[in-house]
Parts: sequence; C-alpha cells; structure tokens
Amino acid sequence: MIIAEFNESIKLAYDSIKSNKLRSFLAALGVVIGISFVILMGWVLQGLDKTMEDSINLMGQDMIYLDKWDWAGGHTNKKVDQRKDISYSQAKELSKRMTQSVMAFPQAWKWNNQIKYKNEKFSGLIVQGTTYENGLIPEGTVTDGRFFTQMDDQFGSKVVVLGSKAKETIFPNEDAIGKTIDVNGHKLLVIGVVKKQGTMMMDFVDTKVYIPLSAFLQIYNDQRRRSFTVVMKAGDQTNLDNVREEAKGLMREIRNLKPGEDEDFSLNETKNFQAFVDNLRIYVWGVGIGMTILSFIVGIIGIMNIMFVSVAERTKEIGIRKAIGAKNRSILMQFIVESAFLCFVGAMMAYIICSIFIFALATILPKFVPQTSFLSPVMPYEFLIIASVVSIFVGILAGFIPALRAAKLDPVDALRYE
Amino acid sequence: MDKSNTIIDIGNISKVYEMGGEPVYAIRDISLEIKKNEYLAIMGPSGSGKSTLMNILGCLDTPTTGRYFFKGNDINDMTDNDLAEIRNREIGFVFQTFNLLPRSSALKNVELPLIYSGMKKSERDEIARNTLIDVGLADRISHKPNELSGGQRQRVAVARALVTSPSIILADEPTGNLDSKTGVEIMHLFYELWKKGNTIILVTHEEEIALHANRIIRLRDGLVERDEINHHQRIE
Ligand SMILES: Nc1ncnc2c1ncn2[C@@H]1O[C@H](COP(=O)(O)OP(=O)(O)OP(=O)(O)O)[C@@H](O)[C@H]1O
Ligand SMILES: [Mg+2]
Repeated sequence: MIIAEFNESIKLAYDSIKSNKLRSFLAALGVVIGISFVILMGWVLQGLDKTMEDSINLMGQDMIYLDKWDWAGGHTNKKVDQRKDISYSQAKELSKRMTQSVMAFPQAWKWNNQIKYKNEKFSGLIVQGTTYENGLIPEGTVTDGRFFTQMDDQFGSKVVVLGSKAKETIFPNEDAIGKTIDVNGHKLLVIGVVKKQGTMMMDFVDTKVYIPLSAFLQIYNDQRRRSFTVVMKAGDQTNLDNVREEAKGLMREIRNLKPGEDEDFSLNETKNFQAFVDNLRIYVWGVGIGMTILSFIVGIIGIMNIMFVSVAERTKEIGIRKAIGAKNRSILMQFIVESAFLCFVGAMMAYIICSIFIFALATILPKFVPQTSFLSPVMPYEFLIIASVVSIFVGILAGFIPALRAAKLDPVDALRYE
Repeated sequence: MDKSNTIIDIGNISKVYEMGGEPVYAIRDISLEIKKNEYLAIMGPSGSGKSTLMNILGCLDTPTTGRYFFKGNDINDMTDNDLAEIRNREIGFVFQTFNLLPRSSALKNVELPLIYSGMKKSERDEIARNTLIDVGLADRISHKPNELSGGQRQRVAVARALVTSPSIILADEPTGNLDSKTGVEIMHLFYELWKKGNTIILVTHEEEIALHANRIIRLRDGLVERDEINHHQRIE
C-alpha cells in the first residue's frame, strides 16, 4: 500500500518537474555541478590508479634504486638537497659488494641534453649511462636491434639504444638502427630501440637514450657534480627486505656514516612510487572534495529553497490531500520523493554531460598532450550507481525540512489558503 | 437508548480561538447526535460557526473542549494518523470551491482517496470509474477540472467523497459557487444519495437549500438556536 503512494509520489514529482522545467533545472544546477565533480574526480583517480599499476609493472616490483634523491619527495626535501652526491666509485663498490641481489649496477643520467642527428638538434632527451644489465630488466626490453653487452661496457663502445619516444623524435620516418647520432660531440652508433612503455608519470622513460656507463664517463668527463644511482634487482619480492638491509648497511659503511647518524641516501622502491601517487591522489581529492562539498552545499540550498516554494504553492493541495485521508507521512514522503527525484534527474544530466565531456577529452586531449593518454574515454558504470545514490541522498537531505513543514500543516488552515 | 445507529455523538463541544488575548468562541457548548441515513442541514448567518462545526465533525479539526464519539470511538484519544484514517474511510467532504487537484483528471481525483487507503491499481480504477458514472460523468472521466463546468466539477467532488463508501458525507455550501439551475441539479444528486441510504450533513445559509434535508439545525453566534425535524422536506 505504501507502494501505491510511492508510485503516486514519483508521478507527482515527474509532473511537477515537467511543469516547471526551467525552475527545476536552475534549482538542480548545484547538484548537477556537484555530481559532475564527483564523477570527474573519480575518473581522474581511476586513471591515476591505472597508470600507477602500469608503472609498477613496468619497473618491476622487485627493484630497489639506491639514490641520493627520495622519490616520494616532500617531507625531507631540504635535507635531501644537502646530501652529498653518490660518487661513481661508491656506486661501483656497492654494486660489486652486493650479494643478496640478483643484479646490482650503477647508473647515471644527464637530463635535458642536446643530441644532434645530421644538422638537426633535439633537446629534452635524457642520456642514461648504464650497464648491460639494464637490458635484462623490464625497462630495457628492446623491440628492435639489441641492448649493449658486457663487452660494450668494458670497452666503452660508442653505441646507443634509443627509448621509443627518442627514436620517434630523432628518426620519425626512418629506421634508426645503424645510424650515427651526436651526443655532446661524440659520435654514437644506434644499435637498438627500447619497447614503448610510457604512461603518464613514467613518460620520461621513453625519452631516454641508453649508452654504456664507461662511454658516458668519457663523454661527460668534465662534469664534476654528478650523483650515481645503484639499481638492484631482488629477484623476488620476498627478498626485498634482505636486499634493502644489505644495501643500507654496505652504503653506510662506504659513506662512513657513524652509528646513529641519519642515512644520506634513499632506497627507492615501487612502494615509494606509490607514496608519490598517494600524494597526487590527496591533492586531487583535496581540490575535488573542496569543490564538491561547496557545490553540494549550494545544491542543497537550491533544492531546499525550491522545495519550500513548492510546498507554499501547494498548500491548498496539501489541505485537500489531508482532507481525503492523506497521513502526515504520506505528505512527507511525497515531498521527499519529489526532492530526491529532482536531484536524481540532475545527477543523470551530470552523468550524460560528463560522459560526453570525458569522451571528447580523452579522444582529443592526448593528441596534443600525450601524457594524458592514460585517460579512459569510457565512463565506468559504477559512477552511475554512485551518482544515483549520492544524488538521492542529497535530495532526501535537502527535501526533509520542507517536507516536514508540509506534513505538519494544519488541514483546516491549508484548505483555507488561497 | 439504542446507539447502534448513531454515527456521530458530540457533547458540549466548544472551539475557542485566542484573538488579542481575548477568547473568541467559534462554537460553544454544542451537543448533537447524528444517526445513520439522516439528512441534516446546518444553517446560520455568516460567522455563526457552521464551517467550524463541520470541520470538527469531519475530524479535520479538533474541539477545544467537549467530547466526540464517532461510531462509539473517542476522537480525543486519536492520533493524527488515526484521524487521517477516519477521514479517509468514514467521511466524504464536498466543498464550496470544489477543491479538486487542478492538474489531475477527474478519474485521478476520484482515485486519490483509494490510493491513500492502499487499494490496488486495477481495483481502484474500476471503482473510481463506476462512481463517476454514478454521478453522471461517464463521458468526462479523463477531463481535467479546467475542462469541466462548475456543476461537473462539483459532481467530480461528490464522486471523490463517495468513492470510499463513507459513513457520512459532509458538504460545506456545495451549491455556493453554482448558478441556481446547476445548484438544483447537485441537490438532486444529494437527494438520490440520501435515498440510497447515505448519511448527509449539508452546510448552507439558504433556506431553499436547507429544505432538502429532513432535519435542520440553526446556529447563531456559535450556539445551537434550534434543532428541528423538517416537515416540509423538498422531494425532487
Ligand atoms: N482560525 C481562526 N482564528 C480565529 N477565529 C476564527 C478562526 N476560524 C474561524 N474563526 C471565527 O469563528 C467564527 C466562526 O467561523 P466559521 O468559519 O465557522 O463561520 P461560518 O458560519 O462558516 O461562516 P460563513 O457562512 O461565512 O462561511 C467566526 O467568527 C470566525 O471569525
Ligand atoms: Mg463557512
């Protein structure tokens, strides 16, 4: 029997919105915007999660990067800045002495370096000095040619393996293998191209060019300030603790740290990467939640206001309904349903608008900003459920006080109302 | 005294409003007994308390003092919910200004009390239709109020009052907004309902209209001035 009243309420709510289209739309605007924020925020966060998963898979979950820098960033920035560089000999020594890891090798980078091919200059590429072992981890998988070998390492061969983006930049329409490029005045032979692996945050890996560390040291011998990284592969996630402990102990020894002194290096793992994404996540939430709450407050006020107007306009109708036997709770339900329905319609509008927006954005934006290719053009259906539930909740919240006023109207007074 | 036929039994009912600190009696010390199949007219000049009395009888309003038994149940003990249920099942209101829901069809208006009584859609649809046919609106079932004449609107209102087969029909100046010819038609409808066994209370200030009832109560300043059998009941 409540169902009959409920159906009646839905129909009434529908009629009421239909006969006041513009007014209802304006009243629901806050909710439309609020729900849109929720949807877009969820969409971005989902994209971030996906990226992060991809990135972790790309790096491998058993990798530890001992570095002067802390990848998670943030908290200890100032202290990190004052750390001494990790020298080549320190990195080499650690790599040699590690026993727990499957492999350990030093690496160095030169950021934003200029590379020439024929007469053209290319900037924004990263030169990575590394060892043949780099070719054995996921980051060094080649699609074309080969990675350099232990021999290349030993003899400081002037060879180079290109990241996929680097290849496209330098050799957009031609084969790269066998060509010679110029890095800081040195001629290097291209012997391989690495598999494309970039996702939003790991995009830089595709702009790398890999050269043997021995060659790197010759090419950049004039640079005094450079910190090296030691890349360690634990082989298995359960072995991470052992590798971490060993590396920490050895490095403390190598760096002559006194017992109790803080480490002046960081052991970065995918875990740290997660911390970085979590920071980003908090940032998205912070901005998103703030705006969402604000628009929901505006939304609730808008809906509440329109519901008060609706109750006042229909005072006589409420009197009539009470005279023919509507209970207080029937009237209460009628107006709460109307309010919830109004918000629900707003949420559906938001869902449709966001779907179109997301589709357009995810189709067009990556053409101009490749880093955004992690965005999905399809709106997950869970958001439909979330939007529905949230909007109905907001509607009930906003409609409750006006509905209570309607329910408590005295029938005689209401009937006399003109 | 046999009370089995008594629908309404009120004793020493008063309704007091506070106006600028002064108590104003809308009705005062009214005692009445209304039995099944009575046709009662409540008469009196404007402001004499007719509507107040009727609202109390119809459980829309509650008296300030006095006792009220409806079919033996004490109204003073009842909650808002109980009163709504009594209005729904036992009482049918007809108002001077029709008081139909403007956006709903005749059928929807007549169905409404059945929705609140929780009847199934198919059932209430049929009953509402039949009731509309009974009041002579077979060909106006899906019209909206603004597509109907005054007399037709009042017929819809009568159908709405009748649709739950209430114990009593309360009509407050049902012909007040109608021309005299249409008024006569509506009075004829009430007469037929009464003949079929319905109990009717009619509020009016027109002697002509009151003469249709078989008992007339005259109010003055909230008091019952006279309560008498009408020996000249107009038979239509
Ligand atoms: N809500 C109220 N507040 C104060 N006084 C009221 C209220 N309702 C009714 N009254 C007073 O009670 C008295 C009776 O009113 P009521 O409406 O019952 O008269 P009536 O006989 O129906 O008059 P009419 O023929 O004009 O409809 C009037 O004096 C009126 O002013
Ligand atoms: Mg009156």
